Amino acid sequence: MNEASSPAIEVSHVVKRFGTVTALDDISMSIPAGEMFFLLGPSGCGKTTLLRILAGLETPDTGKVFFNGRDVAELPAHERGAPMVFQNYALWPHLNVHDNVAFGLVERRVAKLEIRSRTEDVLKRVGLAGLGERMPGQLSGGQQQRVVLARALVLNPAVILLDEPLSNLDAKLRVEMRHEIETLRRDTDITFIYVTHDQADALALADRMAVIHSGKVSAIGTPLELYARPPNVFCADFLGEANFIDGVVNGAQVKTKLGQWAWQSEDKAPPVASGSWCCMVRPENIQCVEGPDASVNAFQAEITGVRVNGATVTVSLEAAGVPLKATVLTQRCLGFKKGDTRWWAVTPENVVLLAP
Amino acid sequence: MKIRLGTPISVTLIVAALGIFLVWPMAHVFGRSFWDDRGFTLIYVAGLFTNSVQLQAGLMSFLIATCVTLCCVGVALPMAWVFARRSFPGKALWSGLLLLPMILPPFVSAVGMKIIFSRAGALSTLLMNLGIVDGPVDWLGHFPLFGIVLLETLHLFPILFLNLVAALANIDPSLEESALNLGASPMRVFRRVTMPLAMPGLFAGMTLVFIWSFTELGTPLVFGLRRVLPVAIYDSVAEIGTNPSGYAMVTFVLVISALGFWISKRLLSRHRSVATLGRLSQARREVPLSFRGSLLLYLLVGGVLFAAVLPQISVVLLSVSHRWFLTVLPEGFTLEFFGQALNSELTRTALVNSLSFSLIATVLDLLLGFGIAWLCVRKKIWGSDWLDALAMLPLAVPGLVIAFGYMGCFSGSFPNTLLDPRMNPMILLSVSYAIRRLPYMVRAAHAGLEQVSSTYEEAAANLGATPFRVVWRITLPLISANLLAGAILCFSFSMLEVSDSLILAQSENFYPITKAIYALLESLENGLNVAAALGVWAMALLGAGLLVAAALMGKRFGQMFKAG
Repeated sequence: MNEASSPAIEVSHVVKRFGTVTALDDISMSIPAGEMFFLLGPSGCGKTTLLRILAGLETPDTGKVFFNGRDVAELPAHERGAPMVFQNYALWPHLNVHDNVAFGLVERRVAKLEIRSRTEDVLKRVGLAGLGERMPGQLSGGQQQRVVLARALVLNPAVILLDEPLSNLDAKLRVEMRHEIETLRRDTDITFIYVTHDQADALALADRMAVIHSGKVSAIGTPLELYARPPNVFCADFLGEANFIDGVVNGAQVKTKLGQWAWQSEDKAPPVASGSWCCMVRPENIQCVEGPDASVNAFQAEITGVRVNGATVTVSLEAAGVPLKATVLTQRCLGFKKGDTRWWAVTPENVVLLAP
Repeated sequence: MKIRLGTPISVTLIVAALGIFLVWPMAHVFGRSFWDDRGFTLIYVAGLFTNSVQLQAGLMSFLIATCVTLCCVGVALPMAWVFARRSFPGKALWSGLLLLPMILPPFVSAVGMKIIFSRAGALSTLLMNLGIVDGPVDWLGHFPLFGIVLLETLHLFPILFLNLVAALANIDPSLEESALNLGASPMRVFRRVTMPLAMPGLFAGMTLVFIWSFTELGTPLVFGLRRVLPVAIYDSVAEIGTNPSGYAMVTFVLVISALGFWISKRLLSRHRSVATLGRLSQARREVPLSFRGSLLLYLLVGGVLFAAVLPQISVVLLSVSHRWFLTVLPEGFTLEFFGQALNSELTRTALVNSLSFSLIATVLDLLLGFGIAWLCVRKKIWGSDWLDALAMLPLAVPGLVIAFGYMGCFSGSFPNTLLDPRMNPMILLSVSYAIRRLPYMVRAAHAGLEQVSSTYEEAAANLGATPFRVVWRITLPLISANLLAGAILCFSFSMLEVSDSLILAQSENFYPITKAIYALLESLENGLNVAAALGVWAMALLGAGLLVAAALMGKRFGQMFKAG
């Protein structure tokens, strides 16, 4: 990863209120140059507000925003140089594709000839060569999306802001566009700030991401870190499916309704205090076993439902009154029936203790 | 931090303009009807109810306005329901044609109406020829109200029609479907769901019609009915400095119209949150009308339209006929009056005056209208609701009130300057035209801005365009059709503005078209024919302008005439 001296973007203690609603509550983060950084959260969590603050379309009530170490709080939107890909495209309907893409260059008073060549280059790059004369209304959704991207790319910006860029596309186009963004990402050293509510997009594309919850940063980290070792219940729940089992920690053991469980923290993690905790186990980490085994946390559970996903099966379980979900490879559970009682196990390193 | 002055400067200019040319005249009128040299007094207002002449004029106006409003409901409600809920061939064309009566000024049609209904006119002659009556009947002398109510109904029902169609179309179909689904019969659905939801629209339209007819000056003046409030006010202009009873009458008119608008605005805003969320949850499927139904509709709507344009037809006939006296149709065909209408000193000056006043008014409206809409919709400045309400106020303030207020304010405060209408009414006439039509311009710009997502502007700013460049390259091109339509509308209506022109233009060399027509009606030799010819010229101009505006705005054209 690119370790620049001062981060491309730094957000410091930003607060934004709309009337009585606090949209952003003391947000801080720092994004190195060239990173694909995701702002992930449910709708209404404030992630788009943060993006608009970066673009200069909103002003924070307090707090600062730095681009390459420079305070940009006073800079109006048109001087930020951070082009944005709007969720609803915002392609100007009275300008054709070429003029839409060339807009920013015209505003920068670039010479006519250069505008033409740069615009054509970038249209070629996003696969729209020869469509410059079309009006936006004559393009499909995917093509419009590419024009918006081209409109930002043509300026050779240091940062591109993306606001839910895939949310208006159908499932097939989404996959296609995801690939293209990945390719783009490989070919450039642009810093991307990508807002989405779709955890699949974030896990698949992000270098790092910030999970935003009710205007606060819930967690920042790489997709792997945050998925495997989420720092809190919200993160664990939002990034994929999770089982939560209440427990009381006593030394290296945690007492749950499913029995005394062993758990293992990461090397650098701070020590865990005794008391009430929540054990988080991902469904794919609950595995069917032959019988009790001292090296793992084993328990008996009744199957209450079986849902076939394809390669995997999601099995609904109930053990000592606790409902659980387990994801098992399909070939491993061919004989499973509703009402069966079987042995299940979780290895200690797959038990993540979270503050309840 | 850079200080941005654009917004404060434009706010100051706009508020100053509205303050001086809209609020002050009204405040002046209001003040003068309650205060005289000796201080606060209620005698002038009380005079409205104790002075038998004024009381009679007030009651007469009230009666006319009530009749006109009810007649308009009767004509417009069934039509609106059919147009909102049924599909039939030629619907778009009919919808356009139905606007026709509204755009032709009743003042001009009144001339034609007089020809049809006068003692020696077409109707009397027709009935005599058929042997139904023995001698000529002076219909207008016997039934002066009838003519006025008929003419104004035919002129104003499209306003109600437009408001109703919009109100009915904006009702989310799922609201009616769920009522059907819960077991209500179609008739019950109409009574319990559709009508209550359309009520604000109906009321808003009725308010517009009521106020319009309550303050109509041209029609009763042409019919010679002097005992109505607007004419009484017109007559009192002459003694504006000495007798404050004119002020009291104007205040009364003002209060009535403000009250109506306030109530309809309240009704509209209360309902808007539920019934018309802006976007319907699903598109409405219009039931096609059967062949028989369509035929019946064509006959009915066609009949109403024919009645509505009959006076105009007679104006045209009058303008090309030598003699139209005791015959059903005119005798002798001539084009000389068209020539006369362009050649006489009076009419030529009037045409030039009207053109230049209207042009100035249109430019003023473009600047003010876009500015106000921009500040309200995009800048959302503090108090933008108030600014918007202020800009919409001229809808509720009859031209009569504004003109009367200007006369009182400016002739007293700036005697013998360019702002004294008795000296030179050019500035005040232009400004009064502009203020009168400002709501249309604001609404046109408002509609444009609301249809154009602000994301377009944000995207432009985001890609490096300064605020001014954003407006220039993105906003203005995107709403140009709306602005142009608004401008054409302002221009066309200014050309045929009646009450302001009649009151403010005091000397012949400043007469606009409408005042010239009125002056011609009083003159002896061929005056009526020349007036008709001038009216035809004006109608042609107005018609052409409105066609262009309608073509530019498409379906949104009708929205221009909606209340609230």
